[in-house]
This record gives sequence, C-alpha cells and structure tokens, in this order.
Amino acid sequence: MARTVAMFTDVSLCIGCRACQVACKQWNQLPAEEPEWTGTYQNHANFTDKSYRLVRFFEQKDDKGGLQWNLMSDVCKHCAEAGCLEACPTGAIYRTQYGTVNINQDICNGCRYCVSACPFGVVAFNHDTGRASKCTFCNDRLHNGLGPACAKACPTESIQFGFRDELAAKARKRVEELKKMGYKNAQLYGEDQNGPLGGLNAFFLLLDKPSGYGLPVKPRLPQNNVFVDSLLSIGSALLVGIGAIVAFRERGGKE
Amino acid sequence: MPLLQSADWPLLIDLYFFLAGLAGGAFVIAAIADLLGGERNRSVVRVGYYLALLAVIPCPIFLIVDLGVPSRFLHMLMSLKPDQAIGAAAINIGQFHIKPFSPMNMGAWALLGFSALAFLAALSVFLEDAKRGRDLSAFRATVGIIGGFFGFFLAAYPGVLLGATARPLFQNGSFLGALFLAVGASSGAAAIALILSFLGQGAGGTLGQLRQIIIPALLLQAATLALFLLRVGMSGGEGAAQSLALLLSGPYSLIFWVGAVAVGLVVPFVLQIVTRQPGLVAISAVLILVGGFLVKYVIIAAGQVVLS
Ligand code: SF4
Ligand code: SF4
Repeated sequence: MARTVAMFTDVSLCIGCRACQVACKQWNQLPAEEPEWTGTYQNHANFTDKSYRLVRFFEQKDDKGGLQWNLMSDVCKHCAEAGCLEACPTGAIYRTQYGTVNINQDICNGCRYCVSACPFGVVAFNHDTGRASKCTFCNDRLHNGLGPACAKACPTESIQFGFRDELAAKARKRVEELKKMGYKNAQLYGEDQNGPLGGLNAFFLLLDKPSGYGLPVKPRLPQNNVFVDSLLSIGSALLVGIGAIVAFRERGGKE
Repeated sequence: MPLLQSADWPLLIDLYFFLAGLAGGAFVIAAIADLLGGERNRSVVRVGYYLALLAVIPCPIFLIVDLGVPSRFLHMLMSLKPDQAIGAAAINIGQFHIKPFSPMNMGAWALLGFSALAFLAALSVFLEDAKRGRDLSAFRATVGIIGGFFGFFLAAYPGVLLGATARPLFQNGSFLGALFLAVGASSGAAAIALILSFLGQGAGGTLGQLRQIIIPALLLQAATLALFLLRVGMSGGEGAAQSLALLLSGPYSLIFWVGAVAVGLVVPFVLQIVTRQPGLVAISAVLILVGGFLVKYVIIAAGQVVLS
C-alpha cells in the first residue's frame, strides 16, 4: 500500500468561487444539470450523480446578530472506516492503494445501499447508468501523479492535496494560527485518526462548530449496529421458537 | 441537521421484506410442527411448507427488478473483481464474496439457501402425498432444522439491514430486526391459519395451536415496536426526533396509528382472544397480514424521507 493521500480543505481561505466544482465537472466529464434555487448561492442542495464537489453556502447569525457566511467546499471524505464500502453487497466499493474509497462501475449493480449508508450523504444514484457514483479523488489523475482536479484549480489553496501525515501536521499548525488571530471556534474536523470513523482522508478546518456546516458532530459507522441488532433479533427468534414448540408439543391424552 | 441522502427503495422492496418474513415464519412453524409430530400436525406442515415456497418465489424477482442494473444481480454473491479490500472481515472464495457486516450481502446468501431448502421441504411433502406409505420424514427433519435457521435469518435481516444505514430513524432503533422477525412469525402463522380455514382443515385443534403462536407473536410485535420507538426517541441522535415525528404525528401518522397499530395489531389481537368463530378468526388473520405489511411499509417510508 502506498502512503495514504488526503485532501485538506481550509474553509478560512474559501471565497466561494466554485472553481473546484467546475474543475471536477470538467475533468470527470460530468454533464450540466438544471440549477435549483436553494435560498442561497449554493447549487445544488446536495451532491448529485453529476456533482461530486459542492461548495456549500450556510447563512448563519453571528454573535452580533449580523449575517455570517459559512463557506465550505464539500466532497467525499474517503473515510478510514467507510459506511458505503462496508454496506456494498457486491464488492464494487473498494479501498485503493492510496487509502481512498472508490466505486467500481463495472461491478455496481445499483442496489443503492451505499446511498443510505454514507454518514455524510455523499453517494448519489445515477438513474441513467443505474449505478452509484461519487468522488474518486480523481483516481486516474492520482495514478499519473497529478492530484485531484479540484485542488489544482482552487485559486486560494483552500483545498490542498498531499500525503495525509504531512497535511495533518500543516492543518494543526494552521488552526493554532487562526486561534491566535481571534477565530476562537476554529477547529479541525476529521483529522484525528483516533476520532470518529478512524479519521477522514478529506478533512476540514472549520471556523464554526460542525453543525454550522451541516456536518454530523459524531459520525458513526452504520455497521457498528449489526452486532447488537442481530443479537436482539436472535432473542426475538428464541421467543418465537419457544412459542411454537409450546403450541405444537405433544399433549398427553388430548388429541 | 446532517445532510443525508436516501436509497429511496420503492414499494417493491417493502413487499419483498414482507414476503420474505412471511416465508421464513411459515417455514419455521412448519418445521417445528413437523419435528414435534409430523403425522399429528400434518395439515400445518403441508400448508406451511407449500406457503414458504410460494411466498419466496417472487422475492428474487422483486429484488432483481429493483436493481439499477438487473443483469448484474449475481454480483450480490460473486463478481469478477480485482483483488482489493472490500470491507471488514470480508471473505473471498474465488469470485464469490461473503461480507458479514453487509446485511444485504448476507441476506442474498440467505435467500439463496432458504429458497433451495424451501423447495426441498415442499417437494418432500408433495412426494409423500403422491404415494401412500412413502416416508421422507427423516430427510425433511434435516431440511427443516437447517432451513429453520435460514428462515429466521430471512425474516430478521431486512431490519438489521436498515439499522446499518445512516438514516436517523433506522440507525437509532436497534429493534428493527427483532420487530421484523416477530412480524414474520405473526404473518406466517396467520397465513397458515387463513389457508387452513379456507380448506376447512382447521379442525382437530389446529387453529387453536396456531392461535397459541399468533397471540405471543403479536405481543412480541407490539413490544419490539414500542422498544424501537423508545430507542429512537431516547437516542438523541441527530435527525432522530424529526424522523420519529414524521411517523408518529406527521404525514405517516395515519397509516401508522390506524393501519399498522389499530387495524393491523390491536383489533386482530382482541379478535384472537375473544372469539373462535371461524369467520372472525379469518378476518383477524387477514388483518394481521395487512398490519404486518403496513408496519414495515410505514417505517421504511418515514425513515427514507430526506430531512432538511
Ligand atoms: S464520505 Fe460517504 S461516500 Fe465517502 S467514503 Fe465516507 S461513507 Fe463513503
Ligand atoms: S449501489 Fe453499487 S456501489 Fe452502492 S452498494 Fe449497491 S452495488 Fe455497491
């Protein structure tokens, strides 16, 4: 396995230009879509099968009652423990040698389990091809040493691509700087490999709490439920089994 | 509010979950009746095994039709894939794969195994009926025991499958598998009772024995449903309260309270307790089937609504 790669998105540098969104569409040859009115500059409301990169515009009240814009360029997190990958019944979703998570389009049969299983609502179903799709970190570019198109296109270096360990060190330094500058809510999201989902390979520097960016505070791996839910099912099965045995047992004399 | 998406599984999948549960329930009941006295319980064994086979036949068809690429349904079990990591504890045997933490993959295997065993069980009943004196009970006992485990699995796994998603209503409930299993048992028993009373074979205390399964199964159904709602309500999970409200007081509340709870659970339960009149018992069985379908349908529908 090669060294794990990562994407570090520093929202303090994001200007909402959407160059990343356009670059993603161009490189991955994703067709245009009808724009939709979401109430803000954001388009679309969420990831689609044709938008793997999405600049989110959250309008929040700031401390003084004024408007605060939380901009964030969002993408598949390529989780170290990925709900989509664990859910996939076909083996279409796999971990690459770079540590990223990909959907093999030649194997996906369009069951859509991964769509419901991603804790971040990333995977979208493509009704034209009948398969699930999402960001690949530009897998073809990775193999040619180019790095993802979005990170290349970002004019402010809000999106940075590199080896995970190097980027994480950089991110930790940056968050300290920002705190010194007075951004008291500045925090990293997904950088900690001992944290939720074993860490995210696309991690973020946020200027507000995660919920201010529509991110779950503690994302959980859905498959962690399998064990307990199965035990409870077995309990249910035992009760049914005993009930049936009592009902059909041989009763002396009575027949 | 976390931004989630939904598989949007259609009615066809609810129907599959219902039929799979019914088939599993009917098989288990027939198997236990067979093991505890195949001759004495002949009518239940015959109807239960035939019903299990009939109910499972449409299942793979529903599943395949729902796929985005139906021709690839076999990929659920096997695919020509490069040698890459496809999940925790995944087992690859040649092109086949078993993913213990992917309930959909495990369910596909269970459906395959169950179908084969349901076929063998029904076939053995048929062969015995066709020729007087033929005794296949030893063979059927083996099939019944192994198939019984598959039947339980088939009835419960859809609930576990839903629990292993990021949908707030499913993810925080814990008891969906247990609930689905109870529904499988109640609907399996009710369907057998209904068919027996149509055939006029309810005599000899058979309907009474089935009632002895139906009543506790309905109690279990009510208990697991209540525990499920309680677990979701108390989880404090993000979005859980909102999706619970959709079910209990929002657009799905009518189907839930009137369909799944009152008409589909309470009324047939009371009927089972208070009356032995064949007509009313049959009506109660029909209501149990309706309720069993509706409770699955309405939970899945409410849980798949994308919150904003
Ligand atoms: S963010 Fe979602 S789609 Fe991306 S790897 Fe994690 S679970 Fe999979
Ligand atoms: S839709 Fe495709 S990628 Fe997603 S879980 Fe199903 S088979 Fe796997």
